[in-house]
Amino acid sequence: MLKFLGTTVAGATLALMAGRALANPYAEYEGTTLIVNFPAHPHYNAVMKILPEFTKETGIEVEVDQLPYLKMRERQTLELAQEEGEYDLIAYVVFSKADYVYADQLENLAKYVMNPKLSDPNYDADDLIDGYVYNIGFAGGTKGYLEGKTGSLFGIPYGSETSILGYRKDIFEKHGLEVPETYDEMLELACKIPELEPGMGGVASRAASGHHASHAYLLHLAPLGGRIFDDSWNPTMNSAEGVAAAEALKKIVDCGPEGAKNFGFGEALGAFLNGDTAMFLDTTVVAGQIDDPSRSQVVGKVGWALHPMGARRGSQTGGFGIGIPANALNKDAAFLLMQWLTSKRGDKLVALAGGNPSRFSTHADPDVNAKFPHMATFGEALKHADPDWRPIIPVWGKINADLGTTLSKVLTEDLDIQEALDGVAERTKAVMTEAGYYTWQ
Amino acid sequence: MSQSHQKQNPAFYAVIACLVFMAVGPVALMFINSFKLDVDIISGTGGLLFLPTIQNYETALCDVLWYELDHLDFCSLKFGGAFINSLIIALISTALTLVIGCMGAYALVRFRFMGRDTVSLTTLMVRMVPPAVLLVPVFGLWNNEFCLDKDGLLGGLIRDAFGGRGDVCLAGTHSGIILIYVAMNLPFVIWILQSFIVQVPRSLEEAARVDGAGPFQVFFLVVLPLIKPGLAAAAIFTFRIAWNEYLLASALSDRNTKTVPILIVNNMSEFNVEWGVIMATGMLLAIPPIIFTLLASRQIITGMTAGAVKG
Amino acid sequence: MKTANRLTPYMFMAPAALIMAIALLYPLGYMVWGSFRDWNPSQTIGEAEFVGLKNYITLWGDPNFRESLGVTLRFAFFVVTFEMVIGVGLALLLDRNIRGMSVLRTLFILPMMIAPVVVGLMWRYMYHPTVGTFNRTLDGLGLGKIDWLGQHALTSVIIADIWQWTPFIFILALAALQSLPRSALEAARIDGATAWQQVWHIKLPLMMPVLIVTGLLRLIDAFKVLEVILVMTEGGPGLSTEILALRISRTATEFRELGVAAAMSNYLLILLLGLTLAMFAFTRWQEARARRVRAAAEEDL
Repeated sequence: MLKFLGTTVAGATLALMAGRALANPYAEYEGTTLIVNFPAHPHYNAVMKILPEFTKETGIEVEVDQLPYLKMRERQTLELAQEEGEYDLIAYVVFSKADYVYADQLENLAKYVMNPKLSDPNYDADDLIDGYVYNIGFAGGTKGYLEGKTGSLFGIPYGSETSILGYRKDIFEKHGLEVPETYDEMLELACKIPELEPGMGGVASRAASGHHASHAYLLHLAPLGGRIFDDSWNPTMNSAEGVAAAEALKKIVDCGPEGAKNFGFGEALGAFLNGDTAMFLDTTVVAGQIDDPSRSQVVGKVGWALHPMGARRGSQTGGFGIGIPANALNKDAAFLLMQWLTSKRGDKLVALAGGNPSRFSTHADPDVNAKFPHMATFGEALKHADPDWRPIIPVWGKINADLGTTLSKVLTEDLDIQEALDGVAERTKAVMTEAGYYTWQ
Repeated sequence: MSQSHQKQNPAFYAVIACLVFMAVGPVALMFINSFKLDVDIISGTGGLLFLPTIQNYETALCDVLWYELDHLDFCSLKFGGAFINSLIIALISTALTLVIGCMGAYALVRFRFMGRDTVSLTTLMVRMVPPAVLLVPVFGLWNNEFCLDKDGLLGGLIRDAFGGRGDVCLAGTHSGIILIYVAMNLPFVIWILQSFIVQVPRSLEEAARVDGAGPFQVFFLVVLPLIKPGLAAAAIFTFRIAWNEYLLASALSDRNTKTVPILIVNNMSEFNVEWGVIMATGMLLAIPPIIFTLLASRQIITGMTAGAVKG
Repeated sequence: MKTANRLTPYMFMAPAALIMAIALLYPLGYMVWGSFRDWNPSQTIGEAEFVGLKNYITLWGDPNFRESLGVTLRFAFFVVTFEMVIGVGLALLLDRNIRGMSVLRTLFILPMMIAPVVVGLMWRYMYHPTVGTFNRTLDGLGLGKIDWLGQHALTSVIIADIWQWTPFIFILALAALQSLPRSALEAARIDGATAWQQVWHIKLPLMMPVLIVTGLLRLIDAFKVLEVILVMTEGGPGLSTEILALRISRTATEFRELGVAAAMSNYLLILLLGLTLAMFAFTRWQEARARRVRAAAEEDL
């Protein structure tokens, strides 16, 4: 307590002195301690490495509460509902956006961007990758959760991921295989690998019950031309495209490594790192670990290609955004941190520390590319990222859970795919009716 | 019972060796793996042929080590803090449960009073309540109802003294977790201590009373010392639950009051299972109960039998 | 205050009663109340809408809940059956005077004392499809690998629980065995009963009261298991290991439906209440019978 008082007093004195000496937008907030809530995630591990730099430059202390992201969400649900919350800045996954904005728990960023004392004129918001800003930051536009004329900004993407295909260059070379461009090619290869290389699986994919299975399915749904809902919110996961996506998932898992049916993300990645599969189709966030010799047996053997094309290109938009809770205590300082982190400089710093940049300029940056040669491909992939690859509506959590459990049953208990998805569609319809999505029909 | 040991046939010893292996094997495996690097664990070359390293323990304990670690960029796993939280919570809740439970058991055994049967029956009944059932109400109550208004007198004082934000609620504090642990363990402690208190000869208490001791003096100076074995057994079981519990602690703790089990589950997060570090944290969590088991197995067994056999 | 007055017992009882009332009974009542509401974690209970029995009815018609209930019952049944058979069997086998028995007992209770979270973690590692101990051993022996936590998830989880809790049954059965009246056994031996006959006709029947209480106790505990499964499978694949306790916690935290979770908790509570009452009734009945038997035995003498 004494220490806290001490820093405040010292901070105030310093601020007074600095105010007289030279214009420093951070001066007023020196000595403030921000409490932020970040996920345990490779990008945010990289953020942890650059935060000391922020404190050094601005004198604002940052205390991070890092949690696995499902836990993080639980915690936020609770904290955001309080009158005064504990957190000044939070990272959130895309599908939390709907809940938080709907419950009026996130600050609209307009008033901060308008504030000349806070807003940095050299921020260059146009450099932020469009798809991500719309996906993670915007709410209130088309379908309620996308960009559009009625939308506005509630957060800034930070830790942008998309899906990408990693493949084993050595294996592909050994058997003279072509890197798959389309879904058909990839699925064929997926089952050919175990024949060519006994004991090796085709594609490492997540498939575990719940969120993982659902995520893997959605990954295939968009490129194969499907959607969860049509334009008037009728569930369409049981359409021909939806069934094709589930079939693709089943094929990948069946031709996958030992135990693939129960893989979470960690296990799937582990299998690829251990050299148990020839391909990996999931988020870009893994690149850092693949090059880490203490984790990976495949250092230097992995090449990257775009998410294969089905009916269209459509890789996932995932990752996190950061926003300011409406019940935060130090909102202005939180905005400064947010702006610093997502600025050109912050984005580059975090990219160099192993994070996932969210700006076009960072992906093209020579220093970043020199250190991470895959960055150019990743930048290309981000252009095809599909902001509408999954619906971001408040009831999605419930539908997601049902979809994930049902798909896991398809994978493990050989349920008929069409029948299973019909069931999901029916239950989804009920959920949507209850939530009032058909009121205007 | 004769003290001479019978000679048994060799197959019998083989069975025993096998059982010991099965009981201790997994623990030993975890112990060994906690000294391996992840790469060694995953590649699995040579079970026992590896270079032992304490790197996993260093990573786990990075927040309490006095030196900087080369292999870490920042300290993400605040194991030291969690360990201290676990200790505070487990020790205080065990002590409280014992004192309060002992008094309750004494009242039930030695006195006839109105409502005795109701209390006794209720105690017996709530013993079966699983922590998962308490999750929802405890979450709701501790966060919303068991609060002091921050503008109120006491709430204001607490806020001034300890800082923090919002109303002063039980959730997120050590006391909140301790309260639910004490409540959860009380029925069990009362249950098993009853069978020990019954065995205390009434004549001793009478004698003390004749010498002018009040009921509380009788209880603390005469009864308590006589049921030490029972207290030890009860203490171990209470400590074990408070030390190992995950679900309620995870619902009630905030970033400053996390206990070790929460840390371990959180660390099994999806992005990378760092087996070595997790095994090291698991080992650190398992050490206190293992020590208890080795030192006090007799009391544990007495406690178990007393708890189960006395219907 | 030298002598015990009428208030003394209340003073001894008060702290325990107060704490249990505040932190057990009140929450349980609160839960029953909440189970009639459509309640999410960002609301206080007062803000939640009253929906009557809707949560209970929805649950009853919910195939996922039923499956989860089925998994719970199967888990509890198999776990208790195997643990009883193995535990009692081992007790019968090891009920001899051998050197170092106390050391053995100490080692056997080790698994019970370790945190469920850690047990789950050890087994999750051992079951790991590629780096795990079991598959590596099978592979080394030239046998095929087994998809432990995939296709055989429930079995795998049951094995882990058997590992952890068989010692409990073993210790209690052993204690029961060693407190059997030696005279009955002597008599049987003199009559020329074989070892098997002794077990079947003398030891087991005499141990039965203790065994039934032990079994019921274990059964109640089997419904409380959560952490081990959470760490090993998180309820998957599908719902194949999603026991009720886990489903309650998921419903509350992941699906954010506190009302439904409360209703589910109530179902579980009713189930356990039934078991507890059964145990209670049994011990009463058995005490009464024991008294009769003792009286009869004394007459015989």
